[in-house]
Amino acid sequence: MRMTNAFIKRNFLEMLRYPLSYVFGIGFPVVMIVLFNIIGKYADGMDGMFNAKTLIPGMMMFSFTFVMMLCSLLVASDRTSAFVIRLYTSPMKTVDFVLGYTVPFFVVGVAQEIACLAFGGLFALIFGGGFFTFGAALLLMLEMLPILLICICLGVFFGSVLNEKAAPGISSVLISAAGILGGAWMPLDTMGGFETFCRFLPFYPSVYIGRVITGASHSLPDTGAYKFDSVAALGIIPIAVFLIGFAALALFAFKRNMKSDKR
Amino acid sequence: MNAVKCENLTKKFKDVTALDNCSLEVGEGELFGLLGVNGAGKTTLIKILCGLSEKTGGEAFVFGKSVEREMADIKPLIGISPQETSVAGKLTVKENLEFFAEIYYKDKAERKEAVERVIETFSLQEVLSRRAAKLSGGWQRRLSIAAALVSKPKILFLDEPTLGLDVLARRELWKVIRKIKGETTIVLTSHYLEEIEALCDKVAVLAKGKVKAVGTVDEIKSSVGETSFEEAFVRIVTEADL
Repeated sequence: MRMTNAFIKRNFLEMLRYPLSYVFGIGFPVVMIVLFNIIGKYADGMDGMFNAKTLIPGMMMFSFTFVMMLCSLLVASDRTSAFVIRLYTSPMKTVDFVLGYTVPFFVVGVAQEIACLAFGGLFALIFGGGFFTFGAALLLMLEMLPILLICICLGVFFGSVLNEKAAPGISSVLISAAGILGGAWMPLDTMGGFETFCRFLPFYPSVYIGRVITGASHSLPDTGAYKFDSVAALGIIPIAVFLIGFAALALFAFKRNMKSDKR
Repeated sequence: MNAVKCENLTKKFKDVTALDNCSLEVGEGELFGLLGVNGAGKTTLIKILCGLSEKTGGEAFVFGKSVEREMADIKPLIGISPQETSVAGKLTVKENLEFFAEIYYKDKAERKEAVERVIETFSLQEVLSRRAAKLSGGWQRRLSIAAALVSKPKILFLDEPTLGLDVLARRELWKVIRKIKGETTIVLTSHYLEEIEALCDKVAVLAKGKVKAVGTVDEIKSSVGETSFEEAFVRIVTEADL
């Protein structure tokens, strides 16, 4: 545990002293919230799609993809420098490395949740459209943790298999894809077959269940609020499957990488 | 007991033989140099001894423990300063040292004492609060070696410690290495002849993965009948080419 703590502390400091952590980790999601609130305010008929109840779960999921990018960057740069090679000669074990990378980014993810809620609440006050209760906010934060862990696992995976130039590039592709496939700002519930496809991935179900918690309304008028229906219930399956799958994949890639460095 | 013992150590990468039946012994407390041109197998040998690479043949022991079977027991005994920058760039000098101390020591007082000891030995006081990435190459190497010594290793591996440094920085680092000589066994790789000549008690000349000569600098010179170490080295290495 002592070694894990030391590595967590080191990774935290590395991240806190990397200016882009703030830009991508907090700044970018907040800017997106502001923009979508303005769009929602001034674009006719779109206020339902861009109000806090609909927007916040999507923005939380979207902001976690930046955690993935930052995580992949740190793992890749450590791997390609001699720093981590030297740590392989220390008594540190695989679990120390994995927890050391996971915990700081998990904390950043929770900070992103708080930022999304705070700014979402602030703009709900300014632009209207309603907000949700403190209890719902807490429940939403909890509900979003699995997708946060999925993003961290993906970050460790990309960092383990890509170099520090390729890792952010590939992560950027996934950031864009997650925004679309998760319906962060797109009315997937009006897209028929494409929505069905997105249900098999972890992004959309996470946002969907989040919207059930916040009491958001579907995009089309008179289609009612999000409910814990079969889409939400079955959505737990891809979230669980991808979480276990990506965690195993990240662990495998990291361990394999340690072994291949030994050769 | 020998600090290091290699018996017919071999390492093959597909078609390339990086180490070819290498046998050598490093005595406890010695400053032992591994000399060779690029690709001679120096770094590969160190990597095997540190558990970063797996041998394909022969045996290697560090303080009597097998690198194949007892690496977990070897790890607390070794310190390494690799060729490349191997410190956390965004951490300050002090934070880097504290990080390595926390990995090796349970007791906080011991950690503090270890950090203060290396700060003193390496005269790091003036750069303590500077971030490692902002230091000059010479200071970074100095920090890298200091970090390796925080754990009070029984054996320290220095892989090309002065590679890429200017003459002054190199001389400064030599002073530091001389300072720690005797406190711990040191295995140093280099392709700078003057460095090996100035620092090492004993030398192994490696060429194409083979140990071509072992002994003191004078013994190596006399073994090939040369008065200059450079001439002796060139002769040993070129004979290996024939």
